[in-house]
Amino acid sequence: MQKRQPRPRVAVRQRRISDPALFWLLPATVVFAAFFAASIAAANTPTIRLFPTTVVEDLRQTGEVARDMETGLQEVIGRLDQQQQLYQESKCDGAENDSGCQRLARQIGATYLDMLTIMDERLPDMEHTVNNTRLSLEKNLRSELGRKMTPWTLQETLVGKSSNAATAKPSPTLRGRSGMRLSERFRQYHQLVATSGSQGDQSLAVLASDIYLDMEETSLLIERTRQEIARATLMEQLNQSFGIITPEMMEVVGGVKSILFGDEEARTLVAGPPPGDIEQAYRSPLEQ
Amino acid sequence: MTYFSKLRPLPILAGLAVIAFTLASCASTQPVCDSPQTRSLDRAISSVEASLTNGCQAHFDRYYDDLLTIAEGDPKPENKRAFSEFLVWASDQGLLSKRQAEDHYNRYFNIKFMSLRGDYNNCSHTCPNKRKVLFDMERELSDKERGLLKVSLDNQGYYRADELFQEVELVLEATCTACAAGR
Repeated sequence: MQKRQPRPRVAVRQRRISDPALFWLLPATVVFAAFFAASIAAANTPTIRLFPTTVVEDLRQTGEVARDMETGLQEVIGRLDQQQQLYQESKCDGAENDSGCQRLARQIGATYLDMLTIMDERLPDMEHTVNNTRLSLEKNLRSELGRKMTPWTLQETLVGKSSNAATAKPSPTLRGRSGMRLSERFRQYHQLVATSGSQGDQSLAVLASDIYLDMEETSLLIERTRQEIARATLMEQLNQSFGIITPEMMEVVGGVKSILFGDEEARTLVAGPPPGDIEQAYRSPLEQ
Repeated sequence: MTYFSKLRPLPILAGLAVIAFTLASCASTQPVCDSPQTRSLDRAISSVEASLTNGCQAHFDRYYDDLLTIAEGDPKPENKRAFSEFLVWASDQGLLSKRQAEDHYNRYFNIKFMSLRGDYNNCSHTCPNKRKVLFDMERELSDKERGLLKVSLDNQGYYRADELFQEVELVLEATCTACAAGR
């Protein structure tokens, strides 16, 4: 009778080892497969490319140019404010023929000319960077939202993948921009765009649209301002000989201040909706 | 004197007229399509379903409006389900197509806008009709106010729809400006 060979110990040990290994290996494989499938699915999910690095860089540059312009103008505008205050405290309104008041008016006019000169020097840079950003965004908006999307897909992008209102992330609020420094505005834009990877497509579409429309407005404003500067400079050079402060001058200064440094009065609070009822788990088979 | 001459023609004619009138009135009997008289949504839906199956299909839109009005009297999140089930029933009965049932439901109870649909891209389809699209969306928003807010108490859903309308307005303005600049 043939003696049965004992099973090799190694094999037994291997078997023993492989039991708990299998126990962990199977769920681990499932988890890994699920993760892998999810990452493939995520990679295949169409994402809209509205902010390539060129746009981010353009925004950063626009912010820097705006900051330089503000720094240059801040001192001049501060001086103008002081001179205007002195003019009013000296009761020069209505006493334009007084020689002291005429001297003050000439000083104000000279400072005003300084302001126009600084703006004239800085605006071309500003115009250039704003236009670059505007054109890049224009191209991306046209291609990504205009040509690649139907109205329904655009709506689905804005609503987000989960149409459940309770889980929707709040989108960035950008209204009421006039109450903000120009450079701060661009800094915020840059920050929002630079961190846009963490936001959904729905926020990006709104953000890109908002920045683009703002750039359009800014671009138009800069163009008009540049046209006006030459005229205003000539007028002020003429006024210098008479020592007159025109209401137009005060208006221009006020406008520049509000654009560059923000207008406290124009700062409006955007009222948010009251908290809604979250109890809305029902989903109709008819829902789209 | 013959047999016929003995008969009086007047009563015969009168009798024939009565028979003809009775037959005519039977043939043109209209189904009673009154609005539901109850304030309970469930009972109102049952009553409307009975009327719709008894020849009042042509009054579907009025009945739907009546049901919304009744539901506004007792707003609650469950009303959404009641309307959905009613519309699915109407679709199953062949009173509405599936598409019509979806339109009726989503127009009132979904945050997405049915008036923002189309198979062509935005530059070619939506932008040339932007004003009409936004006008239709604004009208739909007031229906959503009724369905989501007043009937289902879904405040958050309604405010999201309102926000979506504003976002679409902004995004379409920017996109259509960009499309126009590219021509």
